[in-house]
Amino acid sequence: MAVHVQAVREQQGVPGRSTPGRLRQLLWLLLAGCLAWGAVAAVTADQHASAASDVVAISEPLSLDAEQTYQNLSDADAVAASAFLAGGLEPAAQRDRYNADITAAGVKIESASALVGGSAARSGLPGALASQAAGTGKAVGDDLAILTAELPVYTGEVATARADNRVGLPLGAAYLREADGLLRGELLIAANDIYVRESALLTSASAQATGLPLLATALVLGLALCVAIVVTGRWLSRRTHRTLNTGLLGAFIVGVLALAWLAAAFGIGRSHLLSAQQHGSIPAQTYADAEVSALRAHTDEALTLINNAGDDSYEKDFAAQQQRLGRLLQSLSTNGPAPSSIAGASALTPAMLDQEWTRAHHALRALDNGGNHAAAVQEALTGQAAITFERFSGSLTGGITYSQATFADSARKGRDAFTGLAIGMIVAALLMAAACLWGLNRRLAEYR
Amino acid sequence: MKTRQIAATLLAAGVFAGAIAGTAAGVTTATHTAQVTRGVRAGAAAVGTAGGRAAGAAACDPKASSLRPAGPAQASPGSYAATIKARGFLIAGVDQSTYHFGFLNPLNGQTEGFDIDMIDAIATAIFGRADASTVHFKAISDAQRIPAVTSGEVDVVAHTMTISCARLQLLDFSTVYFETGQRVLVQDDSTATSIADLKGRKVCATNGSLSLANAQARGAVGVGVPYWTDCLVLLQQGDVAAISTDDAILAGLTAQDPFTRIIGPRFTDEPYGLAISKQHPDFVRFVNAVLQQIRADGKWAASYRHWLGTPVPNPPAAQYAG
Repeated sequence: MAVHVQAVREQQGVPGRSTPGRLRQLLWLLLAGCLAWGAVAAVTADQHASAASDVVAISEPLSLDAEQTYQNLSDADAVAASAFLAGGLEPAAQRDRYNADITAAGVKIESASALVGGSAARSGLPGALASQAAGTGKAVGDDLAILTAELPVYTGEVATARADNRVGLPLGAAYLREADGLLRGELLIAANDIYVRESALLTSASAQATGLPLLATALVLGLALCVAIVVTGRWLSRRTHRTLNTGLLGAFIVGVLALAWLAAAFGIGRSHLLSAQQHGSIPAQTYADAEVSALRAHTDEALTLINNAGDDSYEKDFAAQQQRLGRLLQSLSTNGPAPSSIAGASALTPAMLDQEWTRAHHALRALDNGGNHAAAVQEALTGQAAITFERFSGSLTGGITYSQATFADSARKGRDAFTGLAIGMIVAALLMAAACLWGLNRRLAEYR
Repeated sequence: MKTRQIAATLLAAGVFAGAIAGTAAGVTTATHTAQVTRGVRAGAAAVGTAGGRAAGAAACDPKASSLRPAGPAQASPGSYAATIKARGFLIAGVDQSTYHFGFLNPLNGQTEGFDIDMIDAIATAIFGRADASTVHFKAISDAQRIPAVTSGEVDVVAHTMTISCARLQLLDFSTVYFETGQRVLVQDDSTATSIADLKGRKVCATNGSLSLANAQARGAVGVGVPYWTDCLVLLQQGDVAAISTDDAILAGLTAQDPFTRIIGPRFTDEPYGLAISKQHPDFVRFVNAVLQQIRADGKWAASYRHWLGTPVPNPPAAQYAG
């Protein structure tokens, strides 16, 4: 056989030039290619999967806690001011709500402190994200230290304010102002700082999970590998006049399937994660910001009445918060969920409810400025201003709950898209390597 | 992570196989440093330099610079009192945190005190009664007293306000309705015995009060806050060594904290007057007539007894400029 003679001649010549020599070299290259690609694909899958599960993991404990702590504290302050306004005998419901807020904030600060201990060593955080998480963990630890130290000071000042108020001393109002200043000046800033940092970490994790470069590398390498297998197969069939090498065909099929899986998993995961951001975390954050502004404005309303400052600093702050609310609610009306999609929400948008409250507030201010302080206080406690604020605040709370549920749902779907992907890539790479080895070894055996 | 270890093994195997075929691979890592920012709580502002007391343009006698009443307190046609009567209510700028002078009583939600009684006397002279419909109180801080009068926002200010020559340049005052002087309030455990012992130490007073400048002029480090009760909070929390102002105000603070005491002699003379715009001299005469009436009929003494206790001194005698 001419082919056989040529093969034998080549076998005796320079190894690189002879067919078996070339074949051996190709085999090693294919094996190296399969294993290297398997490693890259597995690392890619693993990084995306862990970043995706981090999107779920980060958002759930810490940033949510920080945001809720912020809300609890703001609410406690608003309730404390409103209860103070009611005089010595503050309504039981308000006292209970204040206590519940403070307890909730205390529990969250404690549990966050426990989380932060392990936050630097969050499982599976790759490279840059891990060091960002470590930096965030340290800064968050400092913020938590402030919260832990200052919360008892705040509650102490509120308690003093109540005690003084109860015996009819104007000093009580000064303590309430002091407590409010401490809350706004330190506690809320620290809580907000945690929230901002955790949100940044969330954004990084999300960007990592949805980022393209690593995936593109894995896909391009995979395609190159498949092409190399095809080229080898064609070269082999020309040299040996065998139509098809089963091993290489198997490796090719496995390669294509693995690439399809990788691309599909990434595509699905990415779309869920982007949707989690767009329809979940972004509106949730806007709602939360709006609620905090609303609570601050509500505190301002009460403090203007309690303080009788004369200097209109609290009323000025009310206007500033309303301006901020206007911006936030505007962005919600374009990017947020429709009120009708939120269960139990009123047909009115938060922006409309805010307008109602603002109107009631101006009526209240007109009463107070007209010298009718007692009627203004009554308005703030049980009148239209109180009712409209509750409705407005409720609409924001509903929006937060809805957006957070949307976020959690989409983020989990995004994470689940990556399930088993890394192991799958490793198995696929090993199968491809084995198939190449088997297929080419059968040809090599013919030269022995 | 198991996946990662397997991947690493795979990579090692691949690199090994690649090395045989004559290929190599490289690894790079990147690190980021998170920036740390921190919010710092802004405390009460310490006032650096002594403002000093602006001397009056000419030699003036704060106690004898007011206008003589034109007769009994009557809202005669064309007078400012008649304008107020036509409006239906008197607008008074008052304090709501100075115990026993002008304060919002948490127990009944009413604005009460010695200063408030002066306002009520004026309202009674105009309307025959003083209640929520005839008097509208506008709460103002110490620093807002002068602007509130000059802008016409209020008809009269009754706000523990000292008649001074500098202030007389800007507005008119009634005759003296109360006389006091600046002293010092410390906690019971303080070793200070007078303002002289507080050189270089933090002493609290309200922004816009003469007390702040007076304390600084005597070597204390002034700490300015919006209200007198804020000073008491700072004192109770150990942030300032003392509070210094008119002893009448200090008495109101001691009443709210029995573990404080007033020390040292009066080191200033503070005659209180009701502030009225220079636009309405006829209203100054009207208010002086009202004050003259309550000095005589015992209402001044009754209010003093009710708010400030016994012994009740004689009311300050009315003195007029010319």
